[in-house]
Amino acid sequence: MMTYALRRLLMLPVVLFALSLMIFALQMSLSPTQRLAAYAPSDDYLKGGQESIRLMIEEYGLNDPFLEQYGRWIGNILQGNLGWSETARQPVAAALASLFPATMELVVLAFFPGLLLAIWLGSRAGIHHNRWPDHLIRLFTILGWSFPTYVFGLLMLLVFYSTLDWFPPGRLSQWAVTEVTSVGFTRYTGANTIDALLNGNLAVFWDAMRHLIAPVITLTYVNIASITRVMRTSMLETLRQDYVRTARAKGMPRRVVELHHARRNALLPVATIAGMELAYMMGGLVITETIFDYAGLGQFAAKSASSLDFPAVLGFGLYFAVVLVVLNLLVDLIYPLLDPRVKTR
Amino acid sequence: MHRALAASLGLGLGLMASVAIAETKNPGTFVFLWSDDIESFDPAYIADTPSSYGVLNVYSRLLNFKGSEISEFVPSLSTEVPTLDNGLIVENEDGSVSYTFPIRQDVHFHKVGIKGADGAISWKFYDELSEDERSSIQPGYGELTAEDVRYSLLRAMLMGKSWMANAITEMVTASKYPTIADWAQDVGGVDDIAKASPESLREVYDALASQIVVEGDRVTLTIPSSFPATLGIMALPFGASIVDQEWTSSVGGWDGSGDTWMTYYRPELSADPLFDQENGTGPFSLEEWDKTERRITLKRFEGFWDKPASLERVVIRSVPEWTTRRLQLLSGDADFVAAPVEFLDELAKTEGVKVVDGLPKVFPRGLFYFWPLDAVDNPAIGSGQLDGRGIPPDFFADIDVRKGFNYSQDYQVLLEQVLLGKTVQAHGPMVRGIMGYRKDSPVYSWDPEKATEHFKKAFNGKLWDVGFELTAYVRDGETQGVAALTVLQQGLQRVNPKFRLKIQSLPSSQLSALRNNREMPAAPLMYMGWGPDYSDPGGPLGAASYYLSPTGLVGGFSGQGYRDLMAEKFKPLLDEAWALNDPAEREPIYAKLQEMSFDYASTQFLWEDFAYIVVRDNIDGYVHNMITYGAWDFYPITKADN
Repeated sequence: MMTYALRRLLMLPVVLFALSLMIFALQMSLSPTQRLAAYAPSDDYLKGGQESIRLMIEEYGLNDPFLEQYGRWIGNILQGNLGWSETARQPVAAALASLFPATMELVVLAFFPGLLLAIWLGSRAGIHHNRWPDHLIRLFTILGWSFPTYVFGLLMLLVFYSTLDWFPPGRLSQWAVTEVTSVGFTRYTGANTIDALLNGNLAVFWDAMRHLIAPVITLTYVNIASITRVMRTSMLETLRQDYVRTARAKGMPRRVVELHHARRNALLPVATIAGMELAYMMGGLVITETIFDYAGLGQFAAKSASSLDFPAVLGFGLYFAVVLVVLNLLVDLIYPLLDPRVKTR
Repeated sequence: MHRALAASLGLGLGLMASVAIAETKNPGTFVFLWSDDIESFDPAYIADTPSSYGVLNVYSRLLNFKGSEISEFVPSLSTEVPTLDNGLIVENEDGSVSYTFPIRQDVHFHKVGIKGADGAISWKFYDELSEDERSSIQPGYGELTAEDVRYSLLRAMLMGKSWMANAITEMVTASKYPTIADWAQDVGGVDDIAKASPESLREVYDALASQIVVEGDRVTLTIPSSFPATLGIMALPFGASIVDQEWTSSVGGWDGSGDTWMTYYRPELSADPLFDQENGTGPFSLEEWDKTERRITLKRFEGFWDKPASLERVVIRSVPEWTTRRLQLLSGDADFVAAPVEFLDELAKTEGVKVVDGLPKVFPRGLFYFWPLDAVDNPAIGSGQLDGRGIPPDFFADIDVRKGFNYSQDYQVLLEQVLLGKTVQAHGPMVRGIMGYRKDSPVYSWDPEKATEHFKKAFNGKLWDVGFELTAYVRDGETQGVAALTVLQQGLQRVNPKFRLKIQSLPSSQLSALRNNREMPAAPLMYMGWGPDYSDPGGPLGAASYYLSPTGLVGGFSGQGYRDLMAEKFKPLLDEAWALNDPAEREPIYAKLQEMSFDYASTQFLWEDFAYIVVRDNIDGYVHNMITYGAWDFYPITKADN
């Protein structure tokens, strides 16, 4: 098991290197002037004339050979310098580090309760196959699947913010921002809920929660649909297995067979899809973050890409590659816990 | 039971909604939501309008524009506006002109230097000082002096980063050198400022410094010859905002020495110490810049030299999604939102929302012609021949082609249906409010007969017979630009079905690549708009120079053919006007240039851009100045409690 994990970890730098080369090659297909837009995102710099543009291209070494530019970039990365993001107005590493807690706060609240709910719903649907709980759950998941995040998010805002004024967009109310930025408040993690609790400030905690509820519900509803359906299908297949029938024939209680024997085995495909969902969420939730004005990695990635902010795009690409590889590894490590037969193969 | 429940729920929702709308949220705090970003708080670095929102409010300048006026000024850090009458503008015998600015006394910067018992200086917020501490302020450390003014102007020019700050260099050298680099290269006899010797750099500094002289509490700026836009440039936030020399030096900025300025020349944004901190004398100080949340908080400066602002705080946030901004406005969480034009009428009818519409801008929109074009691997010109499947690279060199295009556009349709009657047709580079604009100057109109007449003359009649196909470009998201090109496309088709115009939207960076930094432009036709930065049409940043000078902004990217036309026909008049001091003599020349832009159909001028604001109805005091492109000066803004 340990060897397996180490082998997967050793693959990480290789994957990252290949990915960095690919992303860098893509951006090098643009002309130096196009890449210059990354350093001067506003057209206003054109007013400086041809000379200003030439100077800027020289200044940033945008005419240097590919390997020289790549070497410069990768050398900086090895020193922990991912470059400067014009989009974030700060170093890429600092931007990723400051946005990560915000996205994680959202992901943790939306993913894990959502996962448990999806497993429960999927199990219920499988167990009550073609009966009304199954029909209801299928309807629920089909709606969630077919509802675009954008539409569902806007509906949430219209009802719970515009009409009820319960769950506002953003991460904090203005009064809470003033509180959080005051001298007496310490930012331990960057996650507002955790920091508020650590500071013993319940008012800020509740305010942060108020801002999280609508995006969390949106994410949960839209994302649990796929996991629920996979769980249901997997549960149905498992319930038809011989060992389940044998257990029932031996006189084991139905509930024990369904929950302890069948469900555990049905979780294997769920682990795979849940790992992918989690990676996707940790890569940033562009639409949810944009609609709910929630400053996170998704908004940052989208803005960087549309502004041709290459250092940010490259840095984010690397971050996402790490997330994917690490989560894949975790999923692989979880398999043997769910199914001991995997360990012996 | 169910009915009662539903009724209660409905009533509850209604009450909550009305409560949400009725109460004033965040009293004393002005929440400003847009989709832009501020690049830096360094006045010597910035060049774009969004960044001016920060600098404008945390720094002061020697002069301010008088309300909405673009050619009239009021004192700010200078206690008087220099004029010939008050003797503060002097025309010297050698042809040079001196402008003297008496510097206001007892003005403090947001942070001041306090001398400790060990003799070390520590910087503290002026507003937070006790009376004892105020008496310990080290003279000149956070107190405005004439030396600070001199330092600020020198720093802006020597930093050489912002083309707006470079305008001061051009002013001080009377257009001899557009940038400090040109000056240093000339003096040093090198082709790159990096190769200039320390001696030549020092020589440049000495020459520059000798033109800005401090005498007591007065600063005198001497420029070699008349430069009519001088006061206008001094009132702009870019470059002309005053920083504290001692503080700037203490945080790692230029120390003011003539031997060290090159070290601070064109810094990276991240290496500029004034990028995300400030110490100005403006009515607000920078309390917080949360780059993660894209939120800037400005706090009222109680020690402001004039009456403190009415607002306690201003929060500027970037919220990219319009629907979210809109809901925040409706709920009262936002006091201002940047809104798309198509929602104005609906917003104007919304309770609690105020729309101020039809504000002028010195900004003509147009379709720009380029010639000659890059013929190599250029899909925009199709076959590259006049064979009906493309255009030749010099297509727009033919004046009849340009005139034919101009008569094929339906300007009235655009004004009425796309711009909803909120603005007027542009007559040329000079829009309303700019010298040279005349209401009765000729403009193009949709005229298929004249279009046909000109197209039949073009290319000796061949164009009419074979037709053409070309691609026009517009920036992603510019819906009005797409509409203008679509109306033109239909007009051309109606004139001759063989005339085919394709429209392509591209990101800004890709448009730049088609237009700039290449031997020849690749785009034949592009929707754009450029506006001047002071009211005078001449000089480096004037409307006429931008469009009609061979070395101007538009000339710079429109191709050698365009530049040749400008050099031959327009430049003599531009030079003649700029050399004159008397506005009465200059105005007819600019009016003539405006007419010539019609005669030569140099650009298809479409409409004058316009501005509007969308705020909560308890917000008052906005002053729209079109030369600062409507940048928000938060000082006069008030927010009433409902």
